[in-house]
Amino acid sequence: MNFLYSYLVLAEIYALTSLSTNLLVGIVGIFSVSQAAVFGVGAYIVAALTMGDLADFVPALLVAALACIALNVLVALPSLRVAGDYFVVTSFGIQLLATAVFTNWTDATGGANGLPGIPPPVIFGQPVSSTRDFLLLASAALALGCLCFWLLMRAPFGRLLRAIREDELAVAAAGKRVLRAKVGAAAVAGAFAGVGGGLYAAFLSFIDPSPFDLDASVLLVTMVVVGGARTLAGSIVGPFLLLGLPQALNFLAIPTTVAGAARQFLYGALLVAFMLFRPQGLVGQRL
Amino acid sequence: MVLLQLLCNGIVTGCALGMVALSFSLIYATTRIFHVAHAGIYSLGGYLVWSLATRGVPLPLAVPLGVAACAAAGALIQNQLYRRLERRRATHLVVLIASLGLLAMIQNLLAAIYKPDVLQFSETWGNGVVSVKGIILTRTQLLTVVAGVAVYGLVMAFAHRTTLGRRVRAVASNAFLAEITRLEPSAVYVQVVAIASAIVALPGVLVGLDLGLQPYNGITILLTATIAMIAGGVGSMSGAFVLSIAIAVLQNLSLLVMPGEWSIGVTFFIFVVFMLVRPRGLFAR
Repeated sequence: MNFLYSYLVLAEIYALTSLSTNLLVGIVGIFSVSQAAVFGVGAYIVAALTMGDLADFVPALLVAALACIALNVLVALPSLRVAGDYFVVTSFGIQLLATAVFTNWTDATGGANGLPGIPPPVIFGQPVSSTRDFLLLASAALALGCLCFWLLMRAPFGRLLRAIREDELAVAAAGKRVLRAKVGAAAVAGAFAGVGGGLYAAFLSFIDPSPFDLDASVLLVTMVVVGGARTLAGSIVGPFLLLGLPQALNFLAIPTTVAGAARQFLYGALLVAFMLFRPQGLVGQRL
Repeated sequence: MVLLQLLCNGIVTGCALGMVALSFSLIYATTRIFHVAHAGIYSLGGYLVWSLATRGVPLPLAVPLGVAACAAAGALIQNQLYRRLERRRATHLVVLIASLGLLAMIQNLLAAIYKPDVLQFSETWGNGVVSVKGIILTRTQLLTVVAGVAVYGLVMAFAHRTTLGRRVRAVASNAFLAEITRLEPSAVYVQVVAIASAIVALPGVLVGLDLGLQPYNGITILLTATIAMIAGGVGSMSGAFVLSIAIAVLQNLSLLVMPGEWSIGVTFFIFVVFMLVRPRGLFAR
């Protein structure tokens, strides 16, 4: 039972982070492979603040969200200002740089050994320590995230973002500020990923650089692509399916030494296959 | 003395990087595809040659075989993946995601077949040291410089003096006009990706001989190469090559003030400066 609960919690956390990827890649149509880096920044900030007794869980989560917003805005501003594939290079660069920081800034991140012993979150004076309680917390966070996403997509801002994806030039000609809208989307995406990262750190109580590397970013893109870009349902279906996949792979007799590579190979194959045969994913719209 | 040694190391790395940048730039300027999977071809070249070499094939024979195999792989990717996507009017984003998926497939296939850690060549001829006035370089490193300069010269001669090269430039400057004058862009694209994949196999092997092979390090090198291409000005081959050497030299000189783990930070800093100050690159047309 506990196993099922922890699968559900992780899937919900990844769904929250997928919303962030979906907003950038699906809704606005900006290619990004740095979502795992932002997710990681959120996780390390919450870990550092709660372990050092500098802040409670909720304020720490807020700080993480704000820091990730700031990070995404700083990254997006110079590269989105110029047209072309600059943001592609930027997002790869940020992802590799973040991995270097997580691995080498040993004083703050524990390096490759990671940070053990992150305290469980305390909400309204109640510690959330059992997996079942955490499931409630994660569900509440995901529900809130979905509500925000849904409201945002109904709002004029959401329509503006979708219009940019369809025809950027027409939007600019209509007198809308394209750059500001894109940077705004990046900021919201940062908030989602930051909160997701904070929950991740608090749930596992241990973090190291591996869930925040380029492979993890590829996984996040795969989740959105398989679930279906541009829809709320897609961001939820994708993580639940793809997190179940490694368990299914366990039934095949793959030696443990190549299990990680085999899993990552499968994600890549899924990306290629979906782009070729079903770009809208399972429950999404045309990418 | 240390300064001069670092400078020389930078030129060696820069020549390897320059070959990657040239080949990527060839693809990007012609097809407009941000071919991320090129990093996978880079690694593939090194591993194929390693496999042949460990089975007793001498390197002078193994390297051309590896290069040919990479060219075939590149042609296959353009023909079977990118062309199909183009026929379905896939957006730029869809092509990019497919390329990312392909990169994950190649890298992890290599990691599963071989091993994720560093793999060394058993060939020792290249480790022989050549020393001039206290500056120490291995034979492999000297060979890298020779190969880099030769590839640069050949690519320039190819682009300006051969019929195919002129066709490539025509397609690159206006694919639509090329289509109606029967230059067949789709055939040119396959040839360009094949040639570029052949080129990128060379640094894949040479860096592998020098430092060993790793399945996942291609992406860092490709990222640095794309930064060199952008800083040099997209479409300018000379710009891509010169900036590759400049970036590699700066990276090596930065070792004087900070440890090597942070060199990706130096590269990225250069990129941010270019984005803010001169986003079209130094030698933009």
